[in-house]
Amino acid sequence: MFRRYLSSTARNWNSAVTTTNDIVIIGGGPAGLSLASAIKTSPILKDLKCTLIEGNKLIDSLESYYNNPPEYIDKRVVSITPTSMDFLKKIGGWDYVKHDRIETYDNIHTYDSISGAKMEFDSPELATMIENINIQSMLYQNIKRANNESTENELILLDNTKVIKIEEDPHSEWPILELSNGNKIKTRLLIGCDGYNSPVRKFAQIESRGWSYNRWGNVATCKYRDNEIRLSTGWQRFLTTGTLALLPLPNNWCSLVWSVPPEISNILNKLNDEQFKFMINAAAKLSEGELKYLYQIADNDSDKLIDEIKWRLEIFNNKPTNNSEDYPLEIEFIVPNSRAKFPLKLSNADSYIEDRIALVGDAAHTTNPLAGQGLNMGQADVKSLVETLEKSYMRGLDIGSKIALEPYWSDRYLPNHVMLGIVDKIHKIYSTDFTPIVWARSFGVNVLNNVPFIKDFMVQQISHKD
Amino acid sequence: MNKYSNINNINNINTNIRTIIQKRNFIKPLLLSLSTIAYSSIYQSTTLANKIENNELHSNKSKNEIELEKLSSRKFFKRPPKLYENHIPTYTYEKMLMFIGSSIGAFLHPERNEFIVTLGESTATTEFLINLRNNMLNDSIGRKILKDRPYITSNILNLEKLKTYPENSFGKCYYNWLIRENCSPDTRVDVKFIDDEELAFVFQRYRQCHDFYHALIGLPIFREGEIALKFFEYLNIGIPFAGLGSIFAPWNVKKQIERERLFKIYYPWALKTAYHCKKNLINVYWEKIMDKDVNELRRELNITPPPDMRSLRKLYKKSIAK
Repeated sequence: MFRRYLSSTARNWNSAVTTTNDIVIIGGGPAGLSLASAIKTSPILKDLKCTLIEGNKLIDSLESYYNNPPEYIDKRVVSITPTSMDFLKKIGGWDYVKHDRIETYDNIHTYDSISGAKMEFDSPELATMIENINIQSMLYQNIKRANNESTENELILLDNTKVIKIEEDPHSEWPILELSNGNKIKTRLLIGCDGYNSPVRKFAQIESRGWSYNRWGNVATCKYRDNEIRLSTGWQRFLTTGTLALLPLPNNWCSLVWSVPPEISNILNKLNDEQFKFMINAAAKLSEGELKYLYQIADNDSDKLIDEIKWRLEIFNNKPTNNSEDYPLEIEFIVPNSRAKFPLKLSNADSYIEDRIALVGDAAHTTNPLAGQGLNMGQADVKSLVETLEKSYMRGLDIGSKIALEPYWSDRYLPNHVMLGIVDKIHKIYSTDFTPIVWARSFGVNVLNNVPFIKDFMVQQISHKD
Repeated sequence: MNKYSNINNINNINTNIRTIIQKRNFIKPLLLSLSTIAYSSIYQSTTLANKIENNELHSNKSKNEIELEKLSSRKFFKRPPKLYENHIPTYTYEKMLMFIGSSIGAFLHPERNEFIVTLGESTATTEFLINLRNNMLNDSIGRKILKDRPYITSNILNLEKLKTYPENSFGKCYYNWLIRENCSPDTRVDVKFIDDEELAFVFQRYRQCHDFYHALIGLPIFREGEIALKFFEYLNIGIPFAGLGSIFAPWNVKKQIERERLFKIYYPWALKTAYHCKKNLINVYWEKIMDKDVNELRRELNITPPPDMRSLRKLYKKSIAK
């Protein structure tokens, strides 16, 4: 190592390149860690020199999560499909999962806020709810195990290290990363798993196209009222202001994802947990008109809000035509400080690859969370990229060259694009209260819900089952 | 000889076949009895399984009760349950028939209350009522009305009590109007056909407050006055049948002069006033503002009363007499 350092400095005396790598991954999110884990467990790629760089303090938090998990489930929860789960099992991460903190569910019920048209998916093990940090920690443990097994070529995980600058080596045209700890890394292949505002994508000058939905996703971890035994079910209500999703977690807990326009999001942010809890219960049941007036009260007169919601819910629950089984249970408790929000947008990069560059996960594409597909698309990217790298390595290609990476892009771009498009259309169809469209979508949903083979096909698409 | 032998042969064969068939006769009963034995051995478990499936295992119901339950759970030919006390549940086709019948009836005989009432309810669609309810929810007084659910009768609005309100108060104005038009406060029929308890109240409220609008605006209750007020109601509150009335009812007004008066004076007045009116009249808590000054109330709502219809009529009659 030392000799190599000397030799490289001797050669490139004007630029202090300390190390040369085969692969550098930027970003320690689920995509980055599963990519690292997949490379380290691949029999073909495991001997490549590989580094993962993460800007935040990752290792400590992942270790502490693994050794003594926190009492409440984290607010950042994702839904993974059986296919993604199989992939995680294949790369070995699943051995370290915290089983008591994930929930596999068989039912998804969606309903329309205006017409009430319902869609009921039920299929064994449709999806699994899991914390982001649970995925990260199991992958980290898996990388640790892989490093212990082959001590010669360890995967280097640099956390709390920021990439200050990326530049191109004038001779080899390889990217050189300047790190906040003063080191420089030159790499054959740079993989960006660094999220929506990806610096890697900017460095590669790849345009990302799309639009903001003008919606904020509000998340929280909640507990249902314990008055009824129910199968764990994912509930989703399509309001014209955005979707309200209550996704099941173990022991009657649930995770809220409620997308609303910025003005309503501002109102919701002002509420305390108790008021917010009532607001969720109202949004799961009451009509759009009633909600509109409740937002106004929340804005101007929030002291009265709880009484008003109680009054409207009482009227709602007393109606003999309303069956309580058609709606989620009421929320009883919100975990303190578990509320957060994030902006929703659609984007898809023009290309996922460039010479010496590959983009994975959110760096390549972002989507509306209403179908719960974001992380699963990222996992599919990882799977495809690793297969591509294996193939090109076997064929003796330079794995950083564009031609070696091409199959990854051609494999993933279209499926991602189709999925983004479908989710976008669902969002658009449901964000209007224009009567003919409401009729059309309700009719469509009723047809889809009652024709078994179409429904089976859709379940297949949601869970990516073969 | 040959022939005979042949016949004998055939006979022999026939008897042979017969004996064979006769020999096999025992198989059927054997199978039957075997299957009976087999079925009787599993009969209990299958009935038990059926019971478990139908949730009948632990219910101590007699066969008779179960039969009755089956009868009552028939989907067709059965009315849905009542949603509130005076509710009469109806099917959509019945509502449509009601609409057709009552609209013809109301056109030909607008003086008959049952036609007007039924027309009002059969045209009050859920969408319209929900909009009106939302309008009330968005107004602090409308919200209070929805919470209190006031029900107006002559007990609450006692004529003797109304008389005692000071001059120029809304209560007195209402009293004067009642006396002039010779009617009493509880001549309003209950809502029956609207399929939602709260929405039924909303429509009931509109119907019960109809007289207050009359008093506030000062229009009489004969046909011409009603048509003018209906147009105003349609513009201000949005009641669908009021709109229908304001379009179709003038066709049936026989006197040329009355129709002219409507189109030249009262319809333009209604358009103008409804445009300037600051509040939906459904959101006024009439019972609570009985002692309010009526002119102040009109100023608050920004309503200017139209020219008095009765005096216009008198003027016209005089001009004819001359």
